[in-house]
Amino acid sequence: MGHTLAFENITKYFPGVRALDHVSFSAYGGQVLAFLGENGAGKSTLLKILNGDYQPDEGRYILDGEEVHFDNPHQAILNGVSIIYQERQILFHLSVAENIYLGRMPSNRFGVINKRLANEKAQAIIDDFGLPIKPTTLVKDLSIAYQQMVEIMKAYSRDNLRVICFDEPTASLSESEIESLFRVIGKLREEGKIVIYVSHRMSEIRAITDCVAIFKDGQYVATVPTESTSEQTMIRMMVGRDLGDIYRNLDRNKKIGPVLLEVKNLVSDHVQDVSFSLHEGEVLGFAGLVGAGRTEAMRAIIGADKLQKGTVYLRGKAIVNHDPHQAMLSGIVMVPEDRKTQGILGNLDVADNITISLLDKHSNRFGVLDTSEEATIAQKGIEEFKIRTPSPHKKILELSGGNQQKCIVARWMATNPKVLILDEPTKGIDIGAKAEFYAMICAFAKQGIGVILVSSEMSEVLGLSDRIIVMRARKISGELAATDATEDKVLALAMAEE
Amino acid sequence: MMKAKRLSLAISGDKLILMGAIAVVFILFTFLNPNFFSWVNITNILVGASLVGIVSIGHTYLIIAGQNDLSPGSLVAFSGVLCALFVSKGVPLLPAVLLTIVAGAIVGLFNTWMVNNIRIDAFIATLVTQTIVRGFAYIICGGKPVAISNANYITFGKARFLDIPLSVWIMLLCFLFFGFVLSKTKFGRSIYAIGGNKDAARLAGLNPRKAILICYVMMGIICAIGGIIFSARMNSGQPAANVNLEFDSITAVILGGVSFTGGVGSLAGTILGVFLIQAFNTGLTMVNVPSFWQYVARGALLLFALTSDYVRKQNREKMLLEASKRQG
Repeated sequence: MGHTLAFENITKYFPGVRALDHVSFSAYGGQVLAFLGENGAGKSTLLKILNGDYQPDEGRYILDGEEVHFDNPHQAILNGVSIIYQERQILFHLSVAENIYLGRMPSNRFGVINKRLANEKAQAIIDDFGLPIKPTTLVKDLSIAYQQMVEIMKAYSRDNLRVICFDEPTASLSESEIESLFRVIGKLREEGKIVIYVSHRMSEIRAITDCVAIFKDGQYVATVPTESTSEQTMIRMMVGRDLGDIYRNLDRNKKIGPVLLEVKNLVSDHVQDVSFSLHEGEVLGFAGLVGAGRTEAMRAIIGADKLQKGTVYLRGKAIVNHDPHQAMLSGIVMVPEDRKTQGILGNLDVADNITISLLDKHSNRFGVLDTSEEATIAQKGIEEFKIRTPSPHKKILELSGGNQQKCIVARWMATNPKVLILDEPTKGIDIGAKAEFYAMICAFAKQGIGVILVSSEMSEVLGLSDRIIVMRARKISGELAATDATEDKVLALAMAEE
Repeated sequence: MMKAKRLSLAISGDKLILMGAIAVVFILFTFLNPNFFSWVNITNILVGASLVGIVSIGHTYLIIAGQNDLSPGSLVAFSGVLCALFVSKGVPLLPAVLLTIVAGAIVGLFNTWMVNNIRIDAFIATLVTQTIVRGFAYIICGGKPVAISNANYITFGKARFLDIPLSVWIMLLCFLFFGFVLSKTKFGRSIYAIGGNKDAARLAGLNPRKAILICYVMMGIICAIGGIIFSARMNSGQPAANVNLEFDSITAVILGGVSFTGGVGSLAGTILGVFLIQAFNTGLTMVNVPSFWQYVARGALLLFALTSDYVRKQNREKMLLEASKRQG
């Protein structure tokens, strides 16, 4: 009777990572199932397999007892599987009805579209959902919440809708809009659809879901009933081990030295009036929401973005960095946010990736490279940072994400930096490698290096930093000492209204 | 370790295939016309290859760096006319050559300016240059070829060493020198890094704008030298010459294993590509394939080169995926 959905041993590989590792789970009609997991746990890959955007390398995808294969999202939609994404997938210059019936507008046998009929049918669905909008309104004139509703109605308008997934649907909705979304989700549940709900917000998971499927590092952990499971338990299952222990056992630097880096009134196209200081041997955390301007502030410091105003002092001396090369020469280096597009050089091997910033040092005055010296530096980096690679001449893309990131760290540490900026250093890498990075960060601080840690993972910033700077809307909104920083205080600064 | 070995085998495999293809071309055309495999003809092929050859060095650098250049054919013709014109107006040979080289470098700067500063896509930017420079080649000589009477200039085109024309020696020396620069120097290494990922290379402390500038100026100078040699061989500067030179050169480079998307390739592959395409073109003429059909054949060869580039890329990606599977 009710719909059933099951994944059996689904595995998916990408270069350098096993994104999903023999994942099996089931979902049932009339139930709202949450997907819970850290960034990189495999939730979005799972959704993309669900709707045919990716094909699994191994395993079976079973819908209502039948194994299915979707070559593309369109096929999935035809078979009743739809995803409502964070980014709206609608055409803004078409009407509500035209969007709902996109590609299948009612028409006569000559292919002439019958708009009146489309509007009538759309109106029926709108009434069904109890929404105050008209089928003829252009979608661009609707609020974001109603635009999302149009997407849901578009999925709903197919008679055979069986599975509907929501990917962080509330990211840009207000309280009351969330309420009406939840009403609609409730209706879908009553009608026996399988609803999958992906969110980081625990309160929403509590409010709307029946069960929670937990994922960790590309593996399925368990499905637990929402009502009877505590938040603590869920987080422990999701993180796999108590992160608190990792932080507690770190060998921290206790001697914080004099001011190393001082940034005064920095202005670029993307940040306004950023001032802060960093001490020798200090780990300075930068917290804030995505888009708060943390990355952009760092890019301005190393000269990757143009500086309009402001001065950077290193050990009291004003320096000017026109590009990252100059910043490196003065001793300020950055491990960038997006490893794939800004960090690694995918066409080169591990050794070349490590030595690329030191070409000047490893070449004679004619620019001829000393390959044996390069090999020594590369080998040293591989050993020091425990980069797991069968050979220095392996293409860097063949390594796992964590090992790729270690290569970038090795690249910069070979230049003997004074200031090391780490922008989301543990994004998308597994928990084991994360722990190694945390130990590394503490070791760098012990060497007297000033470390700036930009991270969106709250536990990371709170667990590692000596001091925390919070940014909001391209400005610094506050500073907290590690001793009295809490998640609530950081969030309050990150989201405070003017 | 196993993996590294397999990778290098795969690369040398590509080169083996190219050598095989050259052999097939030679056997096929010799079968159709026995004169194909003669010293005279092989020298002809080499002489023909010398111009495409040096231009293909510039293309190898540019394409590995993620750039391209469609202006060499026009620039070679322009340079030949310019040098011949200087000499015919009484400028001594050496200053004439130097001035022509400076002109070539300026065209390279112009390309750099469009790509680096106005951020026009390299293909379109150099298409602009192609047309403008061709126009100037006609303008400076009034549309008529400029005859060369300077004895030294002509000798330069005819001279031989060990019975092999000077232009062939110049090409071979260029391949050795630039091959060394590409594989053994920091400039060469930075070209690969920039072509692989420009943003990451900049964040790693390299200077993509400067490297791109050097590549385009180098190409400009190469074309100027090519134009001078070509005009010496023809005894005249010809404004209408060398149309489609860039086409042959790019085909050779891609055949030789340089990836059209940048970051991958070597000059050793390019030189094989040059020999293949030149033998192919010469053979078509020798077995009397009508010239209209030769266009079709050349297009087909470029299509083949691009297809094999695509297949190589797919294979690289597949190998990466396999590697992660084994690791996982």
